[in-house]
Amino acid sequence: MSRRIKSLQLRLTIELAALFLIASCLAVGGLIYSASLTAGSLADRELGLRAEDLARHVSLDQTGTPRLELPPDLRDAYNAAAQQSVFAIRDKEGHLVEASTPEFGAMIGRWPTADTEPSYFQLSRFGPSGRDYSGISVRLDSAAGTLSVLVAQVAGGDQLVHSILREFVFDIAWYVPPFVAVALLLATYSVRRSLRPLRSVSAQASDIGPGSISIRLPEADVPTEALPLVVAVNRALDRLEQGFTIQRRFTANAAHELRTPLTIITARLDSLEGNGQLSALKEEVTRMNRLVEQLLCVARLDSVALDVSSPVDLRGIAQEVIGSMAHLALAAGRTIALIGADHPVVITGNAAAIGDALRNLVENALAHTAPGSEVIVEVGRDGAISVQDSGPGIPVEDRPRIFDRFWRGKGVRTEGAGLGLAIVMEIVRAHGAAIAVSDHAPSGARFELRFRPA
Amino acid sequence: MRLLVIEDEDRLSGILRSKLGDAGFAVDIAGSAADAEAALELINYDVAVLDLGLPDGDGLGVLATLRRLGRTLPILILTARDAVEDRVGGLNAGADDYLTKPFAMTELIARIKALLRRPGGALGITLDAGNVRLDTVGRELTVAETPVNLSRREFAILEQMMRRFGRIVPKAVLEEKLYGIDEEPDSNPIPVHVHHLRRQLQTANASLAIHTIRGVGYILTENKE
Repeated sequence: MSRRIKSLQLRLTIELAALFLIASCLAVGGLIYSASLTAGSLADRELGLRAEDLARHVSLDQTGTPRLELPPDLRDAYNAAAQQSVFAIRDKEGHLVEASTPEFGAMIGRWPTADTEPSYFQLSRFGPSGRDYSGISVRLDSAAGTLSVLVAQVAGGDQLVHSILREFVFDIAWYVPPFVAVALLLATYSVRRSLRPLRSVSAQASDIGPGSISIRLPEADVPTEALPLVVAVNRALDRLEQGFTIQRRFTANAAHELRTPLTIITARLDSLEGNGQLSALKEEVTRMNRLVEQLLCVARLDSVALDVSSPVDLRGIAQEVIGSMAHLALAAGRTIALIGADHPVVITGNAAAIGDALRNLVENALAHTAPGSEVIVEVGRDGAISVQDSGPGIPVEDRPRIFDRFWRGKGVRTEGAGLGLAIVMEIVRAHGAAIAVSDHAPSGARFELRFRPA
Repeated sequence: MRLLVIEDEDRLSGILRSKLGDAGFAVDIAGSAADAEAALELINYDVAVLDLGLPDGDGLGVLATLRRLGRTLPILILTARDAVEDRVGGLNAGADDYLTKPFAMTELIARIKALLRRPGGALGITLDAGNVRLDTVGRELTVAETPVNLSRREFAILEQMMRRFGRIVPKAVLEEKLYGIDEEPDSNPIPVHVHHLRRQLQTANASLAIHTIRGVGYILTENKE
């Protein structure tokens, strides 16, 4: 059972229920047993009383012989119950004084006379009815001296025991199921109550995410049995956080160590006067700057999970990105426009990351769009943002691979290292957003990011 | 124009000194937060360029100290860190602009000039770009030494564009500046004023061009001849 049932609460409840059931069965069985014992001794006592009753009516007649003189009502009663109960009376010497049936009298004639202690006997298949009898043999004093009185009653025909049992079952035993039910309810409630701290701990655990790695589970109210688990989880979280911090610090340091020399190289080259080779070198450094930037971005996305839980205005991001890139576009003889929603479009995400993704898409579009043309960014009220250029477009067969790292189109003049779209993809994934690539008329590529509405 | 560069990397600060010197600034270098605070106490700089990674403390600490002391000089933050959080933190702590390494020197100079062209900045009164000069106090525009008459709105728009020369002027900023410029009811939207302004500049043979970035704003650049 315990292997199949995973719920601790259910298991405890079921096991407690089984326990209650067994305990109450034992209790009821015990009660029935002791009731039947009591009933048996009551029956013995009744036989004893009857024997005394009979002895009281034995007296000596004129000849000095003991004789039973029953009052008429008692005689009628014995006659009526002749099949139910039998008796026999013997005198001191063992001579039969009286017997309810001659058969019984003949049978006991062979038995020894009664001792001082009453003795019990069983008769099986006795008499014309062929029934079983149980009886008592006692020595009693009477007006006719010492007598042995034997009284027997049909076994099993004992109405008293049966009525006591019936009364018990109907009057007392029905208490047992409701009692078990109430006890079970109380047990279930107390199990639930004891498990409550565990539930609150798991609620807190489910809040732990990449953006909130410093949360620890509370150890205060946790039951002692579960405490080692909670403590172990907290220790594991400590180690994870440490790992995260090291990774984060590493990317930050790498960024610092790479960027400062790059700035210096860029500035030094700027101040040199020279020929065509120098401008080729400058271009190469520009490319390198961009590559380092993108590599750092990839490293950051790999090592630090994005916190995508803040409200973000897509239109505001688009305005900022376009604003920061417009002068570069103009310098390259292209322009950018923002169309679509004229009110803020709010979704849940990470503004900086979405800005990075959009910047990469716009950079791509500016690199591929025809000179003098316009790159169009559109923000839809439904949480979609698209970038469209008037370049050659993207061949259908290339589309599944353009988001791979370091992928570059064949025969396409390329500035970048093929990381831009991979970065876009990472950011899209982190947001649970969708990305679609399509053509648009008359020519050009269109990338659409579709975010889930806030 | 006196400028303080707070940068601990010697090679970089050397280049900054020579490049910014070429651009017409008098440059002082501070290699630590302590040096920077001492220098800022002695001299009234027109602008400070602040690297966030300093040996004896965070650049943001220097920034916070300055702002607490009520010093309002424009401050441009340089950082090699990735952190977008740095940027938000820096701007919240009172930085005026923000540039990530690696940067082009021309970009840095353009940003510094934009800071100086702000109202109250060292270059904030008379704005120069190409052959255009705008006297923001005397409210006079001259193109190649010849005065040109502008309406108040056109003047306000051009002033915003000259202050942010070469950079985007968001439409929202223009709307804000024009709102309540005077009480007279004005039915003309901003594009109409920009259109008039553009024509006036053309007529006067200004060497500047106003570019429209649809849906975002305008950029004033020098004509490429």
